[in-house]
Amino acid sequence: MSATFHQTTVQRCPVHEGAEPSRLGAAVSGGTAPGESREAPVADWVTLDALHRDPFPLYRRLREEAPVHWIPALNRYLVTSYAACHAIEQDEATFSADERESLMKRAMGHSMLRKDNPEHQRDRDSYGKTLRPATIKKHWNGIFEQNYVDCLRRLKKAGPGADFVWDFAAPYAAENLRLVMGFQNATEADMQRWSQTMIDGTGNYADDPDIWAKSERSSAEVDAAIDEMLPYFKDHPDHSLLSGLASLPIPLEAIRANMKMTIGGGLNEPRDVLATTVWALLREPEQLEAVVADPSLHTAAFEESVRWVAPIGMYPRQVARDTVLEGIRLRRGDRVGVAIGAANRDPAVFEDPESFDIMRPKKPHLAFGGGVHFCAGTWVARAQVAQIAMPRIFDDLPGLRLDESSPAVAGGWVFRGMLEMPVAWD
Amino acid sequence: MPNITFVQPTGEAVELEAAEGTSLMRAAVSNGVDGIVGECGGQAMCATCHVYVRPEHADGLSEVTEDEDEMLDCTVAERTERSRLGCQIAVGLEHDGIVVDVPSGQV
Repeated sequence: MSATFHQTTVQRCPVHEGAEPSRLGAAVSGGTAPGESREAPVADWVTLDALHRDPFPLYRRLREEAPVHWIPALNRYLVTSYAACHAIEQDEATFSADERESLMKRAMGHSMLRKDNPEHQRDRDSYGKTLRPATIKKHWNGIFEQNYVDCLRRLKKAGPGADFVWDFAAPYAAENLRLVMGFQNATEADMQRWSQTMIDGTGNYADDPDIWAKSERSSAEVDAAIDEMLPYFKDHPDHSLLSGLASLPIPLEAIRANMKMTIGGGLNEPRDVLATTVWALLREPEQLEAVVADPSLHTAAFEESVRWVAPIGMYPRQVARDTVLEGIRLRRGDRVGVAIGAANRDPAVFEDPESFDIMRPKKPHLAFGGGVHFCAGTWVARAQVAQIAMPRIFDDLPGLRLDESSPAVAGGWVFRGMLEMPVAWD
Repeated sequence: MPNITFVQPTGEAVELEAAEGTSLMRAAVSNGVDGIVGECGGQAMCATCHVYVRPEHADGLSEVTEDEDEMLDCTVAERTERSRLGCQIAVGLEHDGIVVDVPSGQV
């Protein structure tokens, strides 16, 4: 595609087609202003169990008291206001992604997600154009559509009472990811197992040896699968990530770590946003009616869903130099959790933030992260969920509804999504 | 230091000085200019630092790259022949006095 400044062709992005221009996003100032500062209050009443069940009431109470707390149960600071989370995202020099004693490094290797620039950028650039909108439009949307048809058939075969997460959303996201990454030597079930076991390792704060054993087994399987595919792609290039990496002079260690991070982030997130959005719409008949009448609203429903329940609810940072964050003192070496799941419900930015409302005025949410670590899979997620699966699922399953006899269950806070979601249809 | 003016859809103008070599996006975000989000920190990956460069200031800017071109197809406000991503415009002394319009929406 040739591109000059005087481009006259106005070709709209398929993800935004038909969407109304939104209202201006509010700029929120954060920053590490010097001046009056205090120590972070201690929140010893926050427990891991309560966060897992439903973090949002805890976030509300924390946010009302201070933007940053010391949480003994987490052995780190937790940042819950939008302004403070936003300030961290914009200041990588003060808030390093390269956390010491990182469980993610142990489970997946040292990926770009835990590197600072310039190292991070070199890794990120190695992903090339695979995840960009033009490649998605040209190569992936057709594949996602075929996978949708196959997974829908699978859901229908399971029949009413099937679980929307495990009989549809998970295999759909896994198969899409398998092909985008280029794992022709694996199955979607392998992708699901690898993703879950390595993510469990990433969150293994209890140091459970069984969890480490499973995570390490998956890590070794992924290494073997990569080793097998890289030489193949040298002779048979395609548009996948592994194919792109096969021709670049990148250390194998970096390829392995980045691919494992991508297996984690590229599967659970589209799976969870798809299930959460369907769940939310099924509980809000007026909003469901609106998107069925005007499919362009699926884009708004997707963005509202990730604001409301960010699939990645928290990520870690390490303080690189003494600083003051929104009035709270932090010191070099302190570890913080950036609770974007909390920031996205900050009433200072979002009106009536606890409710799911696809018609709310659009404002920038933090669900994809911000700054240089902005999610590289954002456009793939938007395409497969908002553009392909969401607009079709309600047409293809008339009368789709939650199975009242077996209530849906959501869980998690570092990663949050639907754990069980039985559905029925006519 | 080069001077940049951001004109809001309301007509309100914000004038600021930028460090030489910084991007239009970075200058706007660090000065809290409304309507410039810069979600992806300058990777041409989010299309939330869309600006319309006034025609009289278009000369001498870097050409639109392929990556920028495809992201400009994903802007929320209408793309025009004046559309650029602020993160892809490095502001040099030769751009002193540049004026850009902020679109009606970025997300």
